[in-house]
Amino acid sequence: MSAEDGRRKFKEIYNFIGNHLYFNRPDVEVKGERYNSALLFGLLTCLVQGKELIVGEPGLGKTTSAEYVSSLFYRIPLGLIWGSEVAGHPEQTEEKIVGRPDLGKLNQGIESVVWSNFVQLPVKIVDEINRLPETKQSMILDGVDRGNWEYLNEILINEEFCLFATANYQDRGTNTIVAPLLDRFDVMVESKHPGPNLSFFIGYREDKDRVLRNPECERELQKVLADKRPYPEKLPEIESLCDRYGEYLKEELGVETPDRREREEMRSQVAGIPFDMDAEAFSRTMLAELSFCYQYGQKRSDERCDEGCHYTGYLCHNIQNCASNRLPASLQRYSKALAWFLGDERVDLEHVRTVFPYAMAHRVRWKESYSSKREKELREDPLPIYLAKKAVAEVFRRYSEQKEEIKNALALAFRIMEGEELEPALGDHPIYLEIRRDLGRRLRD
Amino acid sequence: MINPFEAFKEYKYRKRALPLDDIVASKAMVVNKLMEGYQHLLDEEVKELVWLARENTIMRAYALAEEWTRGIDYDVEDIEEFCFELDRIRKAPYRIAGPGGLYLSALCNNVKDEEVVLRIGDMEGRIHLLGYRLPKGKRLIVEGDLGDFAGIGLEGGELIVRGKVGNATGAGMKAGRILVEGDAGHRTGEWMMGGEIRVEGTIASIGQVGFGRIFERGRQVYPPITRPRRI
Repeated sequence: MSAEDGRRKFKEIYNFIGNHLYFNRPDVEVKGERYNSALLFGLLTCLVQGKELIVGEPGLGKTTSAEYVSSLFYRIPLGLIWGSEVAGHPEQTEEKIVGRPDLGKLNQGIESVVWSNFVQLPVKIVDEINRLPETKQSMILDGVDRGNWEYLNEILINEEFCLFATANYQDRGTNTIVAPLLDRFDVMVESKHPGPNLSFFIGYREDKDRVLRNPECERELQKVLADKRPYPEKLPEIESLCDRYGEYLKEELGVETPDRREREEMRSQVAGIPFDMDAEAFSRTMLAELSFCYQYGQKRSDERCDEGCHYTGYLCHNIQNCASNRLPASLQRYSKALAWFLGDERVDLEHVRTVFPYAMAHRVRWKESYSSKREKELREDPLPIYLAKKAVAEVFRRYSEQKEEIKNALALAFRIMEGEELEPALGDHPIYLEIRRDLGRRLRD
Repeated sequence: MINPFEAFKEYKYRKRALPLDDIVASKAMVVNKLMEGYQHLLDEEVKELVWLARENTIMRAYALAEEWTRGIDYDVEDIEEFCFELDRIRKAPYRIAGPGGLYLSALCNNVKDEEVVLRIGDMEGRIHLLGYRLPKGKRLIVEGDLGDFAGIGLEGGELIVRGKVGNATGAGMKAGRILVEGDAGHRTGEWMMGGEIRVEGTIASIGQVGFGRIFERGRQVYPPITRPRRI
């Protein structure tokens, strides 16, 4: 399958959902085209096998948008997706989420696991994840991270895997999502209110998602999933049933969706897209500001830097925690996927600047003094995404002012590492000090 | 050992095209031009060291300020630098605060950037009339205190003051939003024709307001919220 064919199918799914199922306004602009962030990042999540956290007010399409993109991209009938979702609530147990002992076999003295649909299907949706108590959130940590599920010494590994989790804003029934779990999400988006006109229109189309149902396929798939054969033996049958559903989508709705082989080809095309030099240098500049601390060597959640530091004007002064290594990984995967979707040969600054706010919004903990100062500004996004967008714009301005110097410093560092006798470049930005440290120089003279 | 800079292998090392000295010199040149423009404004407007803030004098001084700043290629940093330059000069008529505020307003309203941040907390004098006719789409953030008539005649922009303001804030404003994180003085919202003023501290008194809304510590104080009458 050519990249062009893959893109066409991807766009067809985006347009079909946008025109028939998930009505919302575009809220993000890339290369002159406007998209709805929840829908665009939802599809990119399916493409890169990522993890997306969708936040928003109740009833504004957080779960349904995830269901639609998953159903069409992975060719899974909607009814089965409904049956495989995990709801976050205080009484949730590992047996309901992951699997349970096969009681029949257990009576015969044999230990065997009956895996849940949630674990077996490539798409995982956790509804209202922040209603899971903090102690139970760690239950799904490993599965969420790697797609490896363990129960009773048995292990199930998902070859294809992506995850959507929804979260309401804080109310009496919600808990905070623990930082390690939050960090495992690649991106965070908001499913916004579509405005009164579209909202009223949605009222007319309550049964709009019936088109994604296929009871016959759903029954047969359910039968295979409930079958007690080992998981790898069931996979070919699951795939052929999904392909049958794909045919149904093409014939009945006119939407061409990718099969598993095509999805893998799409992914290898995405992985092969390189970053251009500016995108690379800007990402490093941004990461430097999110992890650097002149006083303590790096940002740490339990340490607060002093007022009056020379680097007060940079992001590091306004944040509490340190950027994890998962942030650049998320940024790279989604930026590459976005470049692929737009038909660009390289990841450039615009792709990175579009993805960065959504990849960092949930990961960065701003200092109270900073966020409270900015929370009353006029804005369209929830505060974390708004602050992340502002931060990216601010660092981009700094980068634009000295991009040649930063690239020079990085190029010079390459030559020094290769053994040339040169001195690292100096400059007034954390990135220069980080480069010096990489070259074995001291942070402070 | 891994070379994490491999991606920059092909980058051709270039010497800085614009050395720091040149940047400083060009910045100083821009600030000098701004000072010259301001000098012209003072020459025409401030006779015998007296300047009265009346509707016609404000409008005339602002028009002159726009005229004298037209064609100067300045940015947000230059505006801030100009503020400090103004504060450094001790002699009259530079110390007359009204024309200075109007001149700064003209600079803010016509700069290319949508957001202007002025960190003027360390300035000795207070700037009056700042934010005059701030248009829609512009956001002026002032970190420090302002004098009288802050946001006068606001035309849809957003003025955020991270400090306190003097009297007659938002006077005659037509649209837009003023957010004051500290206290506001007397006659706040005088002759206001629309928009919104939010004061997080206390308001000494409210002026004669036409239209628009005024909030004090999150509570709407104008128009006053009336309770339904008991029958």
